[in-house]
Amino acid sequence: MSPGELAGVTAVGVVVGVDLVTFPQAMTSRPLVAAFVGGWILGHPMVGLLAGVVMELFALETLPVGAARYPDWGPPAAAAGALLADGVRAGGGEGAWPGILATILVAALAAWLGGWSLHLIRRANGAAIGRYAERLARGDPGALVRLQAGGFARDVLRAAALTLVTLVPGGILARFLAARWNAPAGIAEDVVLAVALGAAAWSAWRLFARGSTGRWLAAGLAAGCAGALLWF
Amino acid sequence: MVLTGLRAVPGFAFATARLFGLQSAWSYERMLGIGVAHAMEPLLRPLRDVDGGVRYRDALVREAQFFNAHPYVTSIAIGAAARAELDGEAPERIERLRQALCGPLGALGDRLMWAGWLPACSAIGLILVACGAGGWGVAAFLVLYNVVHVVLRVWGLRAGWRAGMRVAAALAHPVLHRALEVVGPVAALAVGCALPMVLVWATHGAGLHLPWWLTWRHLVAAGVGAGAFALLAARLGTRLTGLRLATVVLAVAAVGGMLWR
Repeated sequence: MSPGELAGVTAVGVVVGVDLVTFPQAMTSRPLVAAFVGGWILGHPMVGLLAGVVMELFALETLPVGAARYPDWGPPAAAAGALLADGVRAGGGEGAWPGILATILVAALAAWLGGWSLHLIRRANGAAIGRYAERLARGDPGALVRLQAGGFARDVLRAAALTLVTLVPGGILARFLAARWNAPAGIAEDVVLAVALGAAAWSAWRLFARGSTGRWLAAGLAAGCAGALLWF
Repeated sequence: MVLTGLRAVPGFAFATARLFGLQSAWSYERMLGIGVAHAMEPLLRPLRDVDGGVRYRDALVREAQFFNAHPYVTSIAIGAAARAELDGEAPERIERLRQALCGPLGALGDRLMWAGWLPACSAIGLILVACGAGGWGVAAFLVLYNVVHVVLRVWGLRAGWRAGMRVAAALAHPVLHRALEVVGPVAALAVGCALPMVLVWATHGAGLHLPWWLTWRHLVAAGVGAGAFALLAARLGTRLTGLRLATVVLAVAAVGGMLWR
């Protein structure tokens, strides 16, 4: 990955990382979007999309609700899409599933780290509000602007750091794990899909199985099975 | 002095733009408070010329206090409180209005967007990708989601502004109630439909072209995965999240794959 590509993926990571909470919450932070764009930057959007779909299944349960600590999938997903696209470009397209498994593992660790980094940002915002307490008590609109801008800047730095952590040490770890995979590639595929579908099914169960939406979930599953049989 | 009507309208464009950054200074102490005051400030500017700006500054102090609700529908509270400030309502009444709106707006936004429209759009995007739409599926997800997102924020500001202290009428809007009834079933149907289609796409449609029996092997693997997850979840309850499970199982698999002989 060239320095320019590294900068491009980091920029994407910043946009999707800031989107999660700070601005504008348009859901570009969803892994489906972020990984696709990360792969597209390196010339293989479909590889990014495949990783994005798998991570979106993990992230179905991620609802950015208020004060809860939730994983930040955006920057890790952008980086994961780029790492996989870079691997394909380097000729690693055959037996790609061990690479996908290792990269998604790294992205999951980074998403968890991202959740903690959000917690730190919130505490830093609280400390900044404390420093501006006197101006806020006077009703100074400039204090509001400075606090908002400061929070935005902190989140930009957080998202950039999270993207770079996933890309550089995370990329080295993912390559290390994938290169030492000795089992048949099909096992990696089975594991990734079983875990992703299992997590998504559990999220769907928790969100919709109770009450009247349970019937709609069952109807959707039936329709999806029929659609899969007819379409493929 | 009471200030209402068109004199405050020029602030709407700025206030609307600021709605999208409501959570920039989110903190555990005030939650959305700073963002609410920042977004409302353009609407309060007519007060700068009243009483030497005392009412303007007092309103900013009040509005920067603790506030917590769903960020999209917080625009309703911003519009209503701004209108109340310009109408010269008593400060205690405005504070009670803010406190009263936190719970209902949080519940409304969480049900409508986080637990409804977001999973619905995500699943529709996944279905489109599985059907071969590629990047257009991603684009469709973003467009679908954000049409409702943007309309909700902008409508909320205007509805709150029109209603002022009678903002309960805006929350009782029949379209909102109908949307709450419909969004859950739509999301459940879409998510249910997406799961098998994504599975088959990931194994079959993503260029791998596996024989049908291999695809069904993956279906069995996914079923086993879901079943194992449900069993673990029954034992561990809410401590089990998709992220934790993914991390643990993928780490075990990565080590197992390295040790395979």
